[in-house]
Amino acid sequence: MREFEPIRSLVGRSCLALDDGDFNGYLDLCAPEFAYRIVVWSPELGKDMVWLDHDRDGLAGLFETLPDHLQRSGRFSRHASVYTVEEYSDAGPYSVVSSVVVHHTDLGGRTQTLAVGRYLDTVVCIDGAYRLSAREVALETRDLGIGLHVPL
Amino acid sequence: MSSRDKKSWDASPDMPAGHFVSGDVYTDPDIYKDESEKVFAKAWRFACHDSELPEAFDYRVFEQDGQSLFAIRGEDGVIRSFLNVCSHRGAKLLDQPAGNAKLITCFYHRWTYDAHGHCAGIPRVSGYSGDVVSKETMGLREVRTETLHGLVFVTLDDAAPDLTSFVGKALDRFSEMLTGQPLEVFHYNRAVLDCNWKAWHETNMDLYHEFMHVVLRKTQVNAMPMKDRKLIVFKNGHGGSGGDMKAAYDGYKGFAGRGNDIPPLSGMAPTDFRFINLFPSTAIISRGTVVRIDTATPMGPDKTLLEMRGLGVMGEPEEHRRVRQRHHNQYWGPFGRNVPEDTIAAEACADSFRGHAGRYQIISRDEGLTGQDDAVLRAFYKEWALKTGRDPGQPVSS
Ligand code: FES
Ligand SMILES: [Fe+2]
Repeated sequence: MREFEPIRSLVGRSCLALDDGDFNGYLDLCAPEFAYRIVVWSPELGKDMVWLDHDRDGLAGLFETLPDHLQRSGRFSRHASVYTVEEYSDAGPYSVVSSVVVHHTDLGGRTQTLAVGRYLDTVVCIDGAYRLSAREVALETRDLGIGLHVPL
Repeated sequence: MSSRDKKSWDASPDMPAGHFVSGDVYTDPDIYKDESEKVFAKAWRFACHDSELPEAFDYRVFEQDGQSLFAIRGEDGVIRSFLNVCSHRGAKLLDQPAGNAKLITCFYHRWTYDAHGHCAGIPRVSGYSGDVVSKETMGLREVRTETLHGLVFVTLDDAAPDLTSFVGKALDRFSEMLTGQPLEVFHYNRAVLDCNWKAWHETNMDLYHEFMHVVLRKTQVNAMPMKDRKLIVFKNGHGGSGGDMKAAYDGYKGFAGRGNDIPPLSGMAPTDFRFINLFPSTAIISRGTVVRIDTATPMGPDKTLLEMRGLGVMGEPEEHRRVRQRHHNQYWGPFGRNVPEDTIAAEACADSFRGHAGRYQIISRDEGLTGQDDAVLRAFYKEWALKTGRDPGQPVSS
């Protein structure tokens, strides 16, 4: 069996980077062609909705402007478990499916579940390093309360 | 320039009635009950867009004044609405938020209803003696439904004046945008907020809070002279922009060129910003290429169901839709630049009024229906006062 530990670690590090507000660290994990989307199925409309859609530059711009925004206080904790890794070919890319839960801890220290969903990642290996070339966050949760400015 | 003692803090502001609002309007359970009976049980309220029911027998479930309702399109093309309640023993009929049902079958004892609300079947009806229980007598409770510019409205009040007299001229400036091309809903999200419904809706009526949003600080407040902005209030408590406000998208990173890449909505320039608030709690807001419709439905004095829709051009090429969605998401939706800031503001005010630390909201900006005048808020509260019979500045007798 092939060793997928580096891919698991990549997904884990992407969570830690966003949790810690280390946005440059997050972008370092992304390939130049990185595409990020949050997709949500609407039973009301009977179709998929896109709630966020950025390429790498768009995401970098979003991160850059975050400090100017009035943001939800507290911290977010992303918990991802890699469930499956599939290789398109021996050299990748890899299709990686993770289950993800995001908790929010408010300034009083109270933690609540914010969202559940899946990361549907495409991972490539560039010069021996694994990088995200696409991430689709397929959200199950549709009521995010007051919402948030940062990607999940 | 001094801080204030309790007496000063608690005293009603020394300004004309209608220029301030007591915190009690957000928290008092009796006021909430009054609003339910005198505002929400009477008003015409936006339920959905007609594109959400494209085919015969398509239905859409929604909430109104604590009750579940559904709208359904008949084989005759007419949209009708009903309480989502079985005539037999009161079971909720439709569970899914949307679907298609030629016959609606109650799961409990399998009574059936058609899209006109007629009772179509009662198993073993012979077991009921007399003629009180029959297909003829056991129809659904129909709720008056009218469609204007593709917007489906309902009222629980059988005696309410018709929709056009309720809306008056408030939607005139929106008719071209809403009907100049076929629209469809591409975004829908719900959020339960910890605040009174008015605290949310005020964010739609208050222009002065543009300063809270960095996007608006950078793209809107200086895009045109404040004195050239026009606000307008209508009868029945509606109010909004009286002329188009402008946005200068170059001011915010990532927004430059917004709207030059896809056709704007009919009658809009890409940089136009136009909004109308329909009493009691629906807002229609357009930013050139997209339109948002939001509705706040009370779930209790301190809980509000916020529903938000984004609409684009029906049948447009996929690449246009993708851009239009992006334009929507730049400002709106749970990950937009603006909406999560408005929700923070609504809940922050609710926090203060909940514990009676906050006593009054001041809505006295008077810029002659230009700039960041509070006139739209005042028009809302004037109608609120008329409907509830309470003075917003002193709604409970001390
Ligand atoms: S409650 Fe609906 S059929 Fe009995
Ligand atoms: Fe706002």
